[in-house]
Amino acid sequence: MLRLALRGLAAHKLRASLTALAILLGVAMVAGTLMLSDSVNRSFDDIFAESNAGIDVSVRARVEVEAGFELPEAGTAVPERLLPVVAETDGVEQASGAIGDGSSIAILDEEGERIGPPQGGPPHIVNSVQPEPFTPFSYPEGGPPTTAGEVAIDSITAEEEEYEVGQTIPITGVEGLSEYTLSGIARFGSGVPLGGATLAEFTLPEAQRITGKEGEFDEIAVEAVEGVSPEELRDRLREVLPGSVEVKTGEQIASDDAEEIKEGFGFLTTALLVFAGITVFVGGFLIFNTFSITVAQRTREFGMLRTLGASSRQVLASVVGEAFVLGLIASIIGIVAGAGFVKLLLAAFESLGFELPQSGLPIEPRTIVIALLVGLISTMASALIPARRATRVSPMEAVLEDGSGAEEDAHGRRRTVIAAIVLALGIFLLLFGLFGGGGTTTTLSNMGLGLILLFIGIAMLGGRLVKPLAGFVGGPIERLRGVTGKLARENTVRNPGRTATTSAALMIGVALVVFVLMLGAALTKSVGDAIDKTFAGDVAIFNVDGFSPISDRVAPAVREEPGVEAAAPFSGAAGRAAGIDDDLLLIGWEPGPLADVTELDWVEGSDETLAGLGIDGAIVEAGWAEDNGVEVGDALELTTPAGAEVEVTVEGSVRDRIALLIDSVAITNELARRSFDVRQDFFILTSFAPDASFDETRDEIEALLASDFPNAEARSQQQLKDEQEEQVNGLIQLIYVLLTLSVILSLVGVVNTLVLTVLERKREIGMLRAIGASRSQMRRMIRYESLITAMIGALIGAVVGVAVAVAAIKALEGDGLVLSFPVAGILVVLVLAAIAGVLAGVWPARRASRIEVMEALQYE
Amino acid sequence: MEAATVPSEPLTDSIVACRGLSRRFGEGEAAVDALRGVDLDFPRGELTAIVGPSGSGKSTLMHLLAGLDAPTAGRAWIDGVEVTGLSDKGMTELRRSRLGFVFQFFNLVPVLTAEENIALPVRIAGEEIDPAWLDELLGMVDLTDRRTHRPAELSGGQQQRVAIARALASRPAVIFADEPTGNLDSNSSAGVLDLLRGSVTNLDQTVVMVTHDPRVASYANRVIVLADGRIAADQRVSGEDEVIRLMREL
Repeated sequence: MLRLALRGLAAHKLRASLTALAILLGVAMVAGTLMLSDSVNRSFDDIFAESNAGIDVSVRARVEVEAGFELPEAGTAVPERLLPVVAETDGVEQASGAIGDGSSIAILDEEGERIGPPQGGPPHIVNSVQPEPFTPFSYPEGGPPTTAGEVAIDSITAEEEEYEVGQTIPITGVEGLSEYTLSGIARFGSGVPLGGATLAEFTLPEAQRITGKEGEFDEIAVEAVEGVSPEELRDRLREVLPGSVEVKTGEQIASDDAEEIKEGFGFLTTALLVFAGITVFVGGFLIFNTFSITVAQRTREFGMLRTLGASSRQVLASVVGEAFVLGLIASIIGIVAGAGFVKLLLAAFESLGFELPQSGLPIEPRTIVIALLVGLISTMASALIPARRATRVSPMEAVLEDGSGAEEDAHGRRRTVIAAIVLALGIFLLLFGLFGGGGTTTTLSNMGLGLILLFIGIAMLGGRLVKPLAGFVGGPIERLRGVTGKLARENTVRNPGRTATTSAALMIGVALVVFVLMLGAALTKSVGDAIDKTFAGDVAIFNVDGFSPISDRVAPAVREEPGVEAAAPFSGAAGRAAGIDDDLLLIGWEPGPLADVTELDWVEGSDETLAGLGIDGAIVEAGWAEDNGVEVGDALELTTPAGAEVEVTVEGSVRDRIALLIDSVAITNELARRSFDVRQDFFILTSFAPDASFDETRDEIEALLASDFPNAEARSQQQLKDEQEEQVNGLIQLIYVLLTLSVILSLVGVVNTLVLTVLERKREIGMLRAIGASRSQMRRMIRYESLITAMIGALIGAVVGVAVAVAAIKALEGDGLVLSFPVAGILVVLVLAAIAGVLAGVWPARRASRIEVMEALQYE
Repeated sequence: MEAATVPSEPLTDSIVACRGLSRRFGEGEAAVDALRGVDLDFPRGELTAIVGPSGSGKSTLMHLLAGLDAPTAGRAWIDGVEVTGLSDKGMTELRRSRLGFVFQFFNLVPVLTAEENIALPVRIAGEEIDPAWLDELLGMVDLTDRRTHRPAELSGGQQQRVAIARALASRPAVIFADEPTGNLDSNSSAGVLDLLRGSVTNLDQTVVMVTHDPRVASYANRVIVLADGRIAADQRVSGEDEVIRLMREL
């Protein structure tokens, strides 16, 4: 029976290769994601292993509260006075203080723009010159900086920017802009790629100055004397050093650092796997459909086999065997294609301004095993129902003329009941995920499973929707194009189940695209509304990259400008509040000028409260306070990143659902700087004097920033909103790219179904030609059929996407999400689906047009 | 063959004609000559049956006459238009205006109703069927009360009657029928053949029918017997016995 399955595959190469493509694409995405993840992880391992290569023991500040993604490098300094303590410890050969800081500088080009990608690019990292054996650098050209006015740049960046030793490079630090002479090109370790990060090496005092860490180090690197193990030395140092610092071996530090950053990239792997899963799911529809159709077409063959004495199990084995062989071959090709997918992905990321560090394409055994399992299981699971249908073919059907009895009955009652149950369960899970509470992971997995069931349920019920929708879509075509339009429409409803499954694949893609579109619009609108309502000032000052901090010296300098009435800096710190589980993002406010630049939505208190806010006072976000049982008048016990404790009193509460100006708790900047080791600001809001000219004042601020703080820039309200929209759109685009493969796959499904259908209707098409239909009429008929099938999927998909998005946005109303309908965007999606539908029909249409009248006369 | 006995151009009053029509399948030693230089003229308003045993070349002859296949040698005309060497576009045009087909397996479009199937050739040609003509056709094939039924709801005989009405719908110069009763029981067969015969008598329609069944051929005005790719007999007949005798003689 397996041999028969193999023969079947060989005899239908076209069908086999289209089905294989369905499996292949999903497997390629899974394998590619795993390869990319391994590659990125390995390169981080390499980077940190090399940067810590000569370090036996490392001393760093203890971080009690982990800073989140928003807060790089907060509170990580070791006081200089500990260096002699370390150096004098028994067993220490050499100890050296160092700076390693990725959030304080921006290296600029001649025009004063930050080098590298403009938005959200990889960091510019400050390194201080380290003695042997600690330094990870060697110098193919020039040497390390020896004076405060010199800098060495890593070889990869130097090559990209075409730097030459001796040239001048402008760099801004927390103190403002300075110019440096390039002393040398520094090769990092063995030259491992840094994933786009730029390393700038300064003398230690200059590195301290440029990062605002005078009198402090980020790390004390220690070398042990011969005969003392790193572990032993670590234990000795722990005994002599205070609890505010952490002592670890170099090896431990390297793996900790790598783990931390890998965790950050873990979300990327998860996201990519989700999209790979979508592609596999869509592929499943295609496989299911192909096997359904071919089983139906082979009814006579199965009947014949049964008359020859084949058992129903043997028939099942032959179909499942075919699926197995197909799945295996396609999965193997898919693993190879995975490498291509990685290239595609990297190119897509790069065009969006992201760069991923990577080292080769490691193919781990785990990758192969997972990819093979995904390919085989999805293929065989999808082929199982059609295969079972094949077993129900009786020997009688071998002798019947037009055997199409094995095709699913779209209107079967049992089927409808099952479909309704699946659909209801899907909707329940989706809503439960959205409104039922629980952690993010539970919510997302409930939603995901709910969506899967929802899609399957709709695909099963789709047979009932096909007829009215085909009428809706096909009606205009019929009126415009006459009889070919009518034939096309009638053909799509000839086998509603088949049309439903074919279009369901496209439905999934369209539903997800529309969902993302809706959510993006809601996000843009809610932030836009909040900016309109809350930001009462004139311009805001941000880092040019939109999210990195800026020097705390910017606000005082801006305040000096004539025409500027108020400038309120916002800072941020990680902290923990006694009795509350989650770590908090504390926002530092400047109580004095804040009321002049914002229109806060006070729940308790007023702008007067703000004016009187002292260093031991705090304001809370009303929603957060409610959720955590915090009330005005309460004392909050806060733990700083370094582990110190401070007490603040809640003086008032404001509502800020989207966390524009306050996330949970706002403290004074004064407290943030004093106790939370905050050195820089997030952003500054300004307002101008009533009699000042907006344009002039703005120009003055811009001139100041350009000359002294080129990594900061001023933005108006409108610019802020536009930028926010751009960011959302960038994310949407990325999601589109990741959905592309599954949408292409669903179109391949349309092609596949049509090709098989054309094959099935050979005689009929021949007859149409005999009664005078031209080739172009036959082409048109199939293209319209393709268009109608695609539009059925797109319309159901759009409705599902809108419905799920509305539910999601309702669920997130508490977080300030506002419903908004991107009608134009949805229409564009539908038009694109229509175009894609026509394109998917081109090839099957050509095949149909080649059918000769003679085919109608075959006596078979 | 004495080619001199027939003129090299078709007779002016023939609807279908051919000269020296030959068809060879395959090449070299495996080559089979299905048709070896056939000359024929079919005048208007006749029902002609082409008969012969399996492999006699009768189907090949019909395919070549209808322009479905290209001859190895010779020429064929329909209503004065030479079909041999006609482009696909020209052939489509010819089928729309001058050709009708009736097939063994009815070949109706299953998703269209009886009347939609009948109107199909006219609509494909981009025109609308005259409602009176449609009613007349439905009456002729006795399906007026089943006009909105789909093929699956009709018996085999009824389906074939729809197919005949469809072939008549565009008032073609000639209808080719390929074993029109091959898939029907004898009762239905009689109805279908009466209908074809009636179209010749009442509408002056020209019909060329291929069959292996002498009883079917007996409905024809003229019977052409093919054997081994050549015309073995060509004469007017009356009655089944005469046809059987004619075929037996070979």
